[in-house]
Amino acid sequence: MNIKDQKEFPVDSASLKNVRNFARELFNKVSEFENYKEELVLALAEAAQNIVKHAYNGNPSGDVMRVEIQYENKVLTMELFDKGLPVIPENIKPRKLTDIKAGGLGTFFIGQIMDEVVFKTTKEDWVNHLILTKRF
Amino acid sequence: MTYQVKEENNISTVFLNGEIDMDVTDKAKDVILPLIEAGKEVHLNLKDVEYMDSSGISVLIESHQKAIELGTKVTLKEISKSVLKVIMMAKLEQILNLD
Repeated sequence: MNIKDQKEFPVDSASLKNVRNFARELFNKVSEFENYKEELVLALAEAAQNIVKHAYNGNPSGDVMRVEIQYENKVLTMELFDKGLPVIPENIKPRKLTDIKAGGLGTFFIGQIMDEVVFKTTKEDWVNHLILTKRF
Repeated sequence: MTYQVKEENNISTVFLNGEIDMDVTDKAKDVILPLIEAGKEVHLNLKDVEYMDSSGISVLIESHQKAIELGTKVTLKEISKSVLKVIMMAKLEQILNLD
């Protein structure tokens, strides 16, 4: 089954639960996701958390972030848009396995779960555009 | 996230419940860290934690490190399947005390 939906959420840590529930509701419709559902939710939620934490430095601004989820031809694409501080992809480093600290863990999880992680800055009306892809 | 703390001998067991994400990490730390700072051995019962993200994992790491620093111990008890999966993804199963 193919799915496609999008939703905007206030940039606030309190929105993360709603982001997860939005994704869960969609993922429940796709049988191929049965064994991956919570991992996919985690990857999306970590990306949304990074927007709150890094693009906005944890300060609720009244801005919204947009989440778009699409599953077509056995490819899941999760896109996140925000108007926070521009992301410099070269500066994003997942934690090293030998580091026993939390910093960079979210990015590490995203990399473990998804097949492809791409930052774009070209989408009009938004500053950051993150595309997470997984093939089934 | 909700929680309950039970004391027995010098062990404090914190029963955490629900979803642990960035929105509740301060609340979780406010419960756990003072117990460690009081020199108690702490058990974190995670059987009713349905979801934990990197922020939740950071609470586990910080608690573990604080306990080592103060000469006590934090043990994770009855870890739910979903939390265990995240701990293992973070390759922390050999670092944190799992029971």
